[in-house]
Amino acid sequence: MRSRLSVLAMLLVVAALVLSACAPAVAPAGAPAASDAGATVDTTAAESTGGEPIELRVAWWGSQNRHDRTIAVIQQFEELHPDVKITYEFSSWDDYWTLLTTEAAGGNLPDVMQQDYARLEEWVSRGLLSPMDEYAADGTINLADVSESALSGGRLDGKLYGVNLGTNSMVVVIDADKLAEAGLEAPALDWTFADLEALATALHEKLGIWGFSGGLSNEQLWKNLFLSQGEWVYNEDGTALGYENDQSLIDYMTMVKRMQDAGVTMTREQEIAETGSSVEQNKIVTGEAAMTYIWSNQIVAVATAAGEGRNFILVPMPRPEGGASANYLKPSQFFSITSQAKHPKEAAMFIDFFTNSVDANKVLMAERGVPVSSVVRDALGPLLDVPQKQMFDYIGEVEPTVSKLPPPDVAGHANLITNVYWPVVWDPFLFGQQSAEEAASALREQGNAVLAESAQ
Amino acid sequence: MTEAVPTVVSQAVPAKGRGHKQKSKRRRNDNVMGYLFISPWLIAFLAFTLIPIIASFVLAFTNYDVLNPTWKWVGLQNFERMFTADPRYIKSVKATFYYVFAAIPLRLAFALAVAMLLNTPRRMVSSYRAAYYAPSIVGGSVAVAVMWRQIFGTDGLINAILGTNVAWLGNPNTAIWTLIILAVWQFGSPMLIFLAGLKQIPREFYEAAGIDGANGWQQFWHITLPLLTPIIFFNLVMQLISGFMVFTQAFIITGGAPLDTTLFYALYLYQRAFVSLQMGYASAMAWILLAIVAIMTALVFRSSSYWVFYGSQEE
Repeated sequence: MRSRLSVLAMLLVVAALVLSACAPAVAPAGAPAASDAGATVDTTAAESTGGEPIELRVAWWGSQNRHDRTIAVIQQFEELHPDVKITYEFSSWDDYWTLLTTEAAGGNLPDVMQQDYARLEEWVSRGLLSPMDEYAADGTINLADVSESALSGGRLDGKLYGVNLGTNSMVVVIDADKLAEAGLEAPALDWTFADLEALATALHEKLGIWGFSGGLSNEQLWKNLFLSQGEWVYNEDGTALGYENDQSLIDYMTMVKRMQDAGVTMTREQEIAETGSSVEQNKIVTGEAAMTYIWSNQIVAVATAAGEGRNFILVPMPRPEGGASANYLKPSQFFSITSQAKHPKEAAMFIDFFTNSVDANKVLMAERGVPVSSVVRDALGPLLDVPQKQMFDYIGEVEPTVSKLPPPDVAGHANLITNVYWPVVWDPFLFGQQSAEEAASALREQGNAVLAESAQ
Repeated sequence: MTEAVPTVVSQAVPAKGRGHKQKSKRRRNDNVMGYLFISPWLIAFLAFTLIPIIASFVLAFTNYDVLNPTWKWVGLQNFERMFTADPRYIKSVKATFYYVFAAIPLRLAFALAVAMLLNTPRRMVSSYRAAYYAPSIVGGSVAVAVMWRQIFGTDGLINAILGTNVAWLGNPNTAIWTLIILAVWQFGSPMLIFLAGLKQIPREFYEAAGIDGANGWQQFWHITLPLLTPIIFFNLVMQLISGFMVFTQAFIITGGAPLDTTLFYALYLYQRAFVSLQMGYASAMAWILLAIVAIMTALVFRSSSYWVFYGSQEE
């Protein structure tokens, strides 16, 4: 028994030695052959060399649709680079940040992570991301077909920390059939809040449904309001609010409350009680609302969920009276290389593949927003179906007039939204516990306190 | 559990007293082996319980925020801020006390009522017991919380039955009650303990009372309830502790909204720790929660001499 065991052990050792010696010879031969047997030998050999094949870790958030598409692209990349094995982590938006902050604290971040424009600055300021200029300069990441306006969102202090995976802009979606049923006209591209209220009220009165779905108190619209006035909600160093005059916010809040009280849009109470928060459950999908607002890439999900035979019109976000465009082109998300990456070079190759490969983008099909590479965009053009084409056209339509991309959210943003914006400002206002003036000054006082503290 | 400890000690003490050299050597070896055998538990206890507890105590006096490697001592600032400069904290304490004082008595009363029903000799009574226990097995889970959100949602079951269109989860007056009803519905484990207590009350008491002409209600007040007080006491302590730590239900069903009426302590702690990333502040909150639970439990223990009746005391 004992001798048999030691023979077995010796065989294993020999096998390991032999296989690892074979590895360099087998690997190049195995890949192009691509037969099943070849692939198996290749993997075995690679594993037994102990560290020869590189393990690249990639993380992203998103829907199931995105997971499937991204995994397929990862497999394409692995086929082209048999020496790179990619392990991946994906989750929903909320879980993603819990997971990644935990990994950051443990020094265990993946090589490539999907980043959000709102968080980019915070992550860079904490030294968790590496600049990619070196790889852009030596051509590992080819940015020749990408315009500077599409890239600028990923730059901080002149260094590139994120490669934009798609361009988005906010959009008001109008149910074209409901509009026709009510005998109303689509609004102009430069429509105002007053036009929004009038149109939503008319739709509500004629059809008995919500004229606008809800979500008008969302912080995104607070930002748009000041962007449109040529200001920004935060000051440059993120220590206080960036606007001086509360009046436009007070006017806006009063309008939202008026619309809620009139039943034109969902009340805050109804918004909270909504059973689903995903875009597929938007009230415009179910036909209970005639208008809503989303990010332009979400039109695909909305149209798919709404089903055949529905028609939607996309118009820019409304603006305050006399304001500039309330829209900007937002990098939908980035791929960034973390400072804890073990294989930054391969990480850069993967990002390049995602950005420039037409084959990869035929799988991704602009699910993350309109691709930044003009070559990819042209290649995808003929393959688009209706909602995707609408999205591409919409981005083209607003591009000339959009406002400048605002800076990423400051360090205290999440803190401000959770602890001040909702519980101290909007909710007490919408539930009738304070006036719009009180709400706006509460935002100023307590918001400034939180921002000053977080910026330390 | 508590009874087992004294027996072990009483065996160990005389062995030590004998003091033979050889014996103590063997004892030491035995001890090493013993510690080796429990080492998986010891290691896990150190790594996942003791060290995190110590770390959180230390962090409570810092401004640590997870992502930023530089953090500094802030002394008692976190604690000071909780009570003087954080209105949401006060709201969360209020919401938690409201929940505990409403949900725990209701749950215990409901558990006792069901236990009384299931204590009657009937056919199939054991399958009923299993059926009524089921909600508390699945109760704390995410799935039930999601289901609850659907039931009380605007287009949910409750509105369909009542023919109303009320935003139960969005109304500041009703939202917390959806969570209290969920807590009451999960009456299974106190019910099981009540059932065991009921079975221990001797039948003769009821027979004697019946002969003396006491009706069912009188029997309940003068026999069942007094004899059950030790069980009620135990259940109360256990439920009180878990009640203060309620998290999952509020996290999924209401998320603290509306107007922070369901912002339970543990939920706010989570928001501070993982949304605002103020780990130091959250650690300080956790230690205050421990103090609150300890004080509440101590009060219940203190009060027990006035209302808990142990059979042996009277004899």
